[in-house]
Amino acid sequence: MRIVVGEGSCGVASGAKKTEAALAALLAGRGGGIALEKAGCVGNCYLEPIVDVYADDGSLSARYVHATEDRAADILEGAADDLLISGEDAAFLTQQERIVLRNAGLINPEKIEEYIAAGGYEALKKALTQMTPEGVIEEIKASGLRGRGGAGFPTWFKWDAARNADAGGGAKYMVCNADEGDPGAFMDRSVLEGDPHAVLEGMAIGGYAIGAREGVIYVRAEYPLAIVRLETAIAQAEEKGVLGEDIFGSGFGFSIRIKAGAGAFVCGEETALIASLEGERGMPRLKPPFPAQKGFWKQPTNINNVETFANVPFVIREGGAAFAAFGTEKSKGTKVFALAGKIKKGGLVEVPMGLPLKDVIYGIGGGIKNDRAFKAVQMGGPSGGCIPAALADTPVDYESITQTGAIVGSGGMIVMDEDTCMVDMARYFLDFTRKESCGKCNYCRIGTKRMLEILERITAGKGEDGDIEKLEELAVKIKDGSLCGLGQTAPNPVLTTIRYFRNEYEDHIFKKKCTAHYCKALIRYEITDACKGCTLCAKNCPVDAIAGKVKEKHEIDQGLCIKCGKCEDNCKFGAVVRD
Amino acid sequence: MGAITVTIDGKPCAGRAGQTLLEVARENGVFIPTLCYDERTEIYGSCGICVVEVEGNPKLVKACATVAADGNVVHTDTERVTESRKTMLELLLSNHTGDCRPPCVQACPAHTDCQGYVGLMAMGKAQEALELIKDKIPLPASIGRVCPHPCEDECRRGLVEEPVAIAYIKRFCGDFDLGGGGWLPGCAPDSGKSVGVVGAGPYGLSVAYFLRRMGHAVTVYEAMPHPGGMLRYGIPQYRLPKDIVDTEAGIIERMGVEIRYDTKVGADISFEEVRKAHDAVCLGIGAWVSTGSGAGGEDLPGVLGGIDFLRKVVRGEDTGIGGSVAIIGGGNTAMDACRTAVRLGAKKVYNVYRRTKNEMPADAIEIEEAEEEGVIFKNLTNPIEYTAGPDGRVEKALLQVMELGEPDASGRRSPVPVEGKTETLDVDTVILAIGQAVDPAGLGAEGLELTRKKGIAYDPATFRTSLDGVFCGGDCGNDKISIAVEAIADAKHSSGVIDAYLRGADAPYRQPYIVERTDVTERTFEDRERQCRPKMDVLDPAVRRGNFDEVVAGWTLDDARQEGSRCLECGCGDFFECRLYQYANQYDVKPSRFLGEYSAPPAPDRLNPTDDGHPFIVREEGKCILCGLCVRVCEEVAGVAALGLVGRGFDTEVRPEMERPLAESGCVACGQCVSACPTGALQERLPLAKSVPLETEKREDVCGFCGAGCRVVIEEYAGMFVKAGPARGADGKLGPICALGKFGLTENPLLDGAKAKAKALGAVSFEEAFAAIGEEVKRLKI
Repeated sequence: MRIVVGEGSCGVASGAKKTEAALAALLAGRGGGIALEKAGCVGNCYLEPIVDVYADDGSLSARYVHATEDRAADILEGAADDLLISGEDAAFLTQQERIVLRNAGLINPEKIEEYIAAGGYEALKKALTQMTPEGVIEEIKASGLRGRGGAGFPTWFKWDAARNADAGGGAKYMVCNADEGDPGAFMDRSVLEGDPHAVLEGMAIGGYAIGAREGVIYVRAEYPLAIVRLETAIAQAEEKGVLGEDIFGSGFGFSIRIKAGAGAFVCGEETALIASLEGERGMPRLKPPFPAQKGFWKQPTNINNVETFANVPFVIREGGAAFAAFGTEKSKGTKVFALAGKIKKGGLVEVPMGLPLKDVIYGIGGGIKNDRAFKAVQMGGPSGGCIPAALADTPVDYESITQTGAIVGSGGMIVMDEDTCMVDMARYFLDFTRKESCGKCNYCRIGTKRMLEILERITAGKGEDGDIEKLEELAVKIKDGSLCGLGQTAPNPVLTTIRYFRNEYEDHIFKKKCTAHYCKALIRYEITDACKGCTLCAKNCPVDAIAGKVKEKHEIDQGLCIKCGKCEDNCKFGAVVRD
Repeated sequence: MGAITVTIDGKPCAGRAGQTLLEVARENGVFIPTLCYDERTEIYGSCGICVVEVEGNPKLVKACATVAADGNVVHTDTERVTESRKTMLELLLSNHTGDCRPPCVQACPAHTDCQGYVGLMAMGKAQEALELIKDKIPLPASIGRVCPHPCEDECRRGLVEEPVAIAYIKRFCGDFDLGGGGWLPGCAPDSGKSVGVVGAGPYGLSVAYFLRRMGHAVTVYEAMPHPGGMLRYGIPQYRLPKDIVDTEAGIIERMGVEIRYDTKVGADISFEEVRKAHDAVCLGIGAWVSTGSGAGGEDLPGVLGGIDFLRKVVRGEDTGIGGSVAIIGGGNTAMDACRTAVRLGAKKVYNVYRRTKNEMPADAIEIEEAEEEGVIFKNLTNPIEYTAGPDGRVEKALLQVMELGEPDASGRRSPVPVEGKTETLDVDTVILAIGQAVDPAGLGAEGLELTRKKGIAYDPATFRTSLDGVFCGGDCGNDKISIAVEAIADAKHSSGVIDAYLRGADAPYRQPYIVERTDVTERTFEDRERQCRPKMDVLDPAVRRGNFDEVVAGWTLDDARQEGSRCLECGCGDFFECRLYQYANQYDVKPSRFLGEYSAPPAPDRLNPTDDGHPFIVREEGKCILCGLCVRVCEEVAGVAALGLVGRGFDTEVRPEMERPLAESGCVACGQCVSACPTGALQERLPLAKSVPLETEKREDVCGFCGAGCRVVIEEYAGMFVKAGPARGADGKLGPICALGKFGLTENPLLDGAKAKAKALGAVSFEEAFAAIGEEVKRLKI
């Protein structure tokens, strides 16, 4: 028997380490026979900590959810049936197609043996011993794999360009972009934490294909667990000889090192990432020259995202056609999404490209929290856009999503319900990009700030006639006049919310109303006849703005009210409403 | 390299393979603006002002970063390009603080370079100051005496103790010039065009002067026997002696302007004839009709018009005033009439004005001096009716007593009658100095469009009247009866329009866009030492009452120089070389659309920039547009990297290394950053007593400090050394320069510092170098 504790960052945050410690202590007292392992996140982040029990034949015999330390003994005693995963939650996984996440949550990321046992490094061996570099690129081309970092650029094309680039006798570099910075996105982190070897293997294959002997993983410093697991994985891989000199006797050598980023979102942009790698301020550079021509240290460099690399071993091992069997005509394979926001089952989902959006949100995500009405989903993070509920049938592939004004991006999917103010949502994302602009291009640096100021004005009830047009004007010009993807996409949340929810902007500006009853300056709290006079609201009001006798309807003094919402949060009868 | 041809704005342009669109455009004389581009550094592409459209490319492309391809069809002037550049500039300017020009220059209707000439005066350069004034004011001795100096009202020295006496300095320069016989400005070669000017007042004389300087033949038709218009006939001798006006008008005549006196257009010569004789005509007939307030009895004998009265005095005619005179009105004309009546021997002189002295439009000094001379102020009274005595002449003035009510649209508190309360003055003469009107007789019949009040109607941007080739300015147009310098401003601005018209072009006047600080208060100057104006001698009231001698004596050179030194140097030192300013006006920006927070808000307690303690270089963060040129030039050209970018997004800024003051950085004071900076964010301390912005002339020279023989550009103003900088080589790139060449080519007292630094750059042993590095590292607080 084997017990596996899910220890991705989500699990650790939910107390998985304590659970593991409790289990270890109990097992220590029992003597041998039961192995205790850890794994990455299986995907159901909302159910963490998760403890899996495997039978001796390797099959999963039980999966316990919300398995906190106090239930460790119950789990060992078989007295924790109440924690067994429900059919519905289990379906969260079974509805998915897992290529990137094939090992996540199942193997111990800190043991290369488990990765190898799961077929790991077979692809690298195949590539090095049976395929030419051109053949590898052909296979990638046949798979239709496109960059999973956001832009969706065909991977084979970049590899081919880097392969054909003249290094002038110098080195070529294979860089993994693990600077996952979108708010609400954690696909890459899960892969790095749960299956780091998949990335290493993908990089080594890529290095072979383009003729690079050195790989660098640029990972954000905010992912300490990922960094530790990558370090462990690299050391183990070197020990096993799957990294280093003369791998599988092929004569090909490849090494990988880690560079921790300093937390600038813009360093996810490839030219800024290169600048940062070189020790410079993380600022984008002009393209051309493209990194494939002049990248890291002005040498040919290929940069792919974590998820892209994690797909590569599958493509090589199973063949491009197997990968291309999933997805649509132009968007092949699967895509990992980080489902977050007002969704019942938030977590990582991997689905074939082309699945309708509603199948992800309702089918896998279980629909909207508290059964509120689905309003929109923000795709692609701050660079993406919102897709309204009316377009829920949109297939999730690069072209269809782009048509809506959003982007597939790196896979962030933030679900919004009817209580979300779309103007405020746009404001939130613009505030993010405004802060994360590197400050180089004038349009991005000042333009996003001015757009934000206009949005802040609108949500504060001080919007003016002409503000929407000014936002649109700035948005178009910022996209036109910015050097890198950050500026070119920063206005997207504003443009898409104006496109689909223009009425909300108009309500804020002209009627001084927040349609979603969210913007503080535009709402008032009121107590309805549903009030039972329990006094909880008055007790919790920090400014004593609520008066009323016990068992009588209470009243809010609008002059004193600071609209903190504590009354609404504390009312057990739904008697506090926002108008 | 292969030759390529690129079509830019329809023009075939030859280039070489590998060149950028910008390089091809520049080599072919096509203008593409840039702010972050410098040939010496790697292409950066941040400013985005060089965007152009290339056919076949749906995006705007950056000309600096786009390699030209043979056959490219490029457009640099489409609406999309212009709009993108304009909005970009508006965004930059919405985050740009400081004062492009000082408040004095902005307050002057003619935008006279007050800071410039006050600064030159502080250096004792009276002639240079005079010439700078005469760029905008052709009659400085006269205007220096009579101008109510709106410049001084805005002068920030007033926040310390009292404004710089800009007008007195102007007068000094004017008098200095007249004392030297009068400087004759150079005129452009004859254009072959001729302009007729109607009226030799401030507008007419000035427009004649400016047009003459531009090379046009000018004839002025003047109805009166002498020049000056209202300056002569409306302002009394004791304020502006007639010989001053004559001499200044004489200089204009000596420049080649013909003035035909005693020639009234419409009487002595027809307007049509004047139009036929010239390629263009300017109307500057002034507003010579006195208007009343509508009180009863204004037509009685003994009731006179204010300017009629003053004119009669000038012309030596009998004014017919008696011993008890009431002057109605609160402006300078009213004060002139009061004080003239005193000098003519009137026993009792009243001034009747419906508000208090605080609201009087007249200059405070005029009111004060009138009071000293015995004028009795009847404030808060308003004439209702003048009644006649038995001889039919005015005998009494019935006045309504007033009080101040709520402020009106202009901000002045409106007078309201105190019900039933009146006062009566015994008078034998009433002088109405309330308003003026235009008498267009002789011109109106010709189809010239007039305003409702019979002023001459013209377009304020083009100065064109309804008649082709007929322009107008000064008091006679658009019911804009104002001060002399306003008429001179019209002359300056219309002369450009008329010049363009004569060349067949159209160049309407546009008020330039400038950035200005609006947050300056007393607090800004708390650290300044109090320093009052030098004393100005004036005639004793007891003496001056009895004659028309000039009251104000004027200053000596020392006085003027000392006064000039009080200037606070508000205007940006880089005004004349600022590309942001130039582009802003080229693209007609409206940055107020995007007003918001500043990334480097102006400090309320300082006018001047970030103090880095650097002997030569001055940084102004609020003016930085983050083009990165200084950072890149310092690293890539000077090889120093004393400057770097700090922070992110909107709050990004340029800081000296390790965020220490620039003086404590590795800066070698080569000044390349100053030369590269497109705005005033990096300036240099000038080796001048007053570091004022001056439009310099440049010449190339060779620096002689060492044997390297670097070519340098020397900038001079009127032969005076102002600054030096690197020269452009044959490859179009700015060449090398060091601290000595940049800041040492002058008798700069700060030079010692540079010499010491240069000396410290000699050869040392490894141990010495290592020890020095150790010391430097210890100094860093990291």
